[in-house]
Amino acid sequence: MKFAVCVKQVPGTTEVQLDPVTHTIIRDGRKGVTNPFDAAAVELAVTLKEQVGGSVTAISMGIPAAESMLRDCIARGADEGVLLTDRQFAGADTLATSYTLSKGIEKMGGADCILCGRMAVDGDTAQIGPELAERLGLPHVTDVIAVLSVEENALVLRKTTADGTIDLRVALPCVITVLREVAQVRLPSIEGIRRSFAAPVHVWSAADIGTDPARTGLNGSPTQVMRTFVPEKTKITKMFSGTPEEQATALCTALKEVL
Amino acid sequence: MLIQPFSPAHAGLVRDESRTVGYADSVSFPRSHEQVTQIVRSLYQDGIPFTVQGARTGLTAAAVPFGGHILNVTRMNRILGLNRLGENGFSVSVQPGVPLCELRKALSARRFDHASWSKASLGALSAFMHSREQFFPPDPTETTATLGGMVSCNASGARSYRYGATRPYVLAVRAVLPDGRSLSLRRGECFADGYTLTLPLENGSRLTVQIPQYIMPKTKNTAGYFAAPDMDAVDLLVGSDGTLCVFTELELQLLPLPACIQGVTCLFETEIQAAAFVQAVREQVEGVVSLEYFDEGALAVLRDQRADHPAFASLPPLDEWIGAALYVELHGDDEAFVTDRLNEIGDLLSACGGDPAHTWVARTQTDLDRLMFFRHAVPESVNLLIDRRKQAEPGITKLGSDMAVPDEHLDHILTYYRQTTQALGLHTATWGHIGNNHLHVNVLPRNLEEYTKGKALFNEWAHKVTALNGAVSAEHGVGKLKAGFLTAMYSPESLAQMRAVKAAFDPKLLLGRGNLFAEKEESR
Repeated sequence: MKFAVCVKQVPGTTEVQLDPVTHTIIRDGRKGVTNPFDAAAVELAVTLKEQVGGSVTAISMGIPAAESMLRDCIARGADEGVLLTDRQFAGADTLATSYTLSKGIEKMGGADCILCGRMAVDGDTAQIGPELAERLGLPHVTDVIAVLSVEENALVLRKTTADGTIDLRVALPCVITVLREVAQVRLPSIEGIRRSFAAPVHVWSAADIGTDPARTGLNGSPTQVMRTFVPEKTKITKMFSGTPEEQATALCTALKEVL
Repeated sequence: MLIQPFSPAHAGLVRDESRTVGYADSVSFPRSHEQVTQIVRSLYQDGIPFTVQGARTGLTAAAVPFGGHILNVTRMNRILGLNRLGENGFSVSVQPGVPLCELRKALSARRFDHASWSKASLGALSAFMHSREQFFPPDPTETTATLGGMVSCNASGARSYRYGATRPYVLAVRAVLPDGRSLSLRRGECFADGYTLTLPLENGSRLTVQIPQYIMPKTKNTAGYFAAPDMDAVDLLVGSDGTLCVFTELELQLLPLPACIQGVTCLFETEIQAAAFVQAVREQVEGVVSLEYFDEGALAVLRDQRADHPAFASLPPLDEWIGAALYVELHGDDEAFVTDRLNEIGDLLSACGGDPAHTWVARTQTDLDRLMFFRHAVPESVNLLIDRRKQAEPGITKLGSDMAVPDEHLDHILTYYRQTTQALGLHTATWGHIGNNHLHVNVLPRNLEEYTKGKALFNEWAHKVTALNGAVSAEHGVGKLKAGFLTAMYSPESLAQMRAVKAAFDPKLLLGRGNLFAEKEESR
């Protein structure tokens, strides 16, 4: 069975450091890491491959440096990587990204099962998986927490819903998006790391996968980011002291003020 | 009132991580050097013995009082400033009650409460913000330990294989002597003349001390006072186990954090394979900062814990065939260097009967945290097991050794520990700093009889380790629990010389009673 896993490199930290004197932002130069939801998707694909045979390809749209992330996926059990990288792809929203990924997957010759993390921790949109499925004309299931069985032409999955879980059968080929608890990500071995240096990572440009320049990158993105900011903290914590009676009275007074 | 009577609210202050329980009459929580001076003067006048304590994470009961006053420094928890050392170096000044984890957090996030810092410190901070990330290398497993506690017992940890213990990172100290006088010392400024050390005190008076003439073991060592001819005065106070002075300010050296940090846990079928691998790594691999061991017993406890306890479910699975594990941490200035070392480790594994496929490599912070969790889970699991056994037999407690021997005796001591515990039928779990031939063999008694046997066995080991030119306490300090071992390691003359140092600093013998010197010896 042929598995393709979409992975994204995200910043290793969300902390912002400021110079106390100049108040300018300091770049800490920490390396990017694999989006944790995507890492779980890779682990799931590798586990399924170990059960039923086949191959796992990790695919990413990103800057050339994302190759190291793809090699890390190989060290953890994937067979090869595909990196879609081109200046034309820069500034893409989810619509343009899912289009670009779909063209990359088409060039790969498609896959029986395409896995995505539920969302990226730096964007939080959770749109790529479903959009990709629509582009490829495949059925999809979101928020998968377990693969219960692999049948010849279908997967039996458990997904979370607003008020519980639901088990369902989906025909192959399909797209699924997974939550982190779907698998415990393995640590790579030295043997895996050696294999990752030898294994192929295909680097494909816009020309290689035949994308329409009007539909990729900034050109293909109807979403415009107006501003990014750290949300202001409006929560106020008040501590009450004194005897239990005094504290209870103070609490009632405070509650009356807001209710 | 700085000195308060001891009340039930202070019950937690009479115990430490060794689970020793003491008692006290009064307690204080000073916030400054001046308050410590005031408290100590008052205690000295009234002849009241006192015990200094920080976070009480020690394993030797050094912070546990048996009567008298508790001087608790946990409210002296401010980071006082940063200092520049030459072009690119930094040091940090702290009060002794700052926990290691808080210092680490501040250094890594580069976030300090600098409202009261001096102009020079703020200048250093500005340079610090633009420098490479800095770190404080000593890394005892328990990161809630206070820096004052770490200096008092000269703590080390996994990375001491490369970076050494706490001592060399202590650049300056300010302290209050047991009679209330103040002392400021900076490394490189006050040396002994042969074996005579004269300390200039802040009030202009002097204190003269005769340095003991014993030869310290060449291994990691925290057993007894540091002593060498012409030594730096700072070195005497570091590792003095709360018996010579109360630290009120510490200046600690920082180092630039290596750009690339990776770790690998290697799994073996047998202890013999693991020991051969240790020798090979020591001889052939550069960039190794720690070499940590987990034996079959430790892995078995962890395996059970993982199955029973959801908190440990995130640990990697431990297959039954695994009889030993080694963690190797590599530091380097670029990734290519570290990757080459990882490859060498792979080759050495194949040569020693291991397998590059049976390894867990951590190259990201998330993965390093997972391997760290694994290492911490071992002592945690052992403590949980002992707590369960204690319910049936309240008199028992875990017995943990802290002895080190020179490199050439590693195989011998591993076999010796194994044979002597097996001969008595004791349940053990062993882990620790095998790179320094420094293992924590933990006897896990199932009943009082085994507890007594284990205690007697540790005394035997103290003699054995001394005969191999090793140290009876390599990193935990001596405190009260290991005071008996000192008599195995040092001659009566050497112990008398140590006692003379103590008497010079503390003529009324008020500070840290029972630490280093067994109580009955001291009251003679």
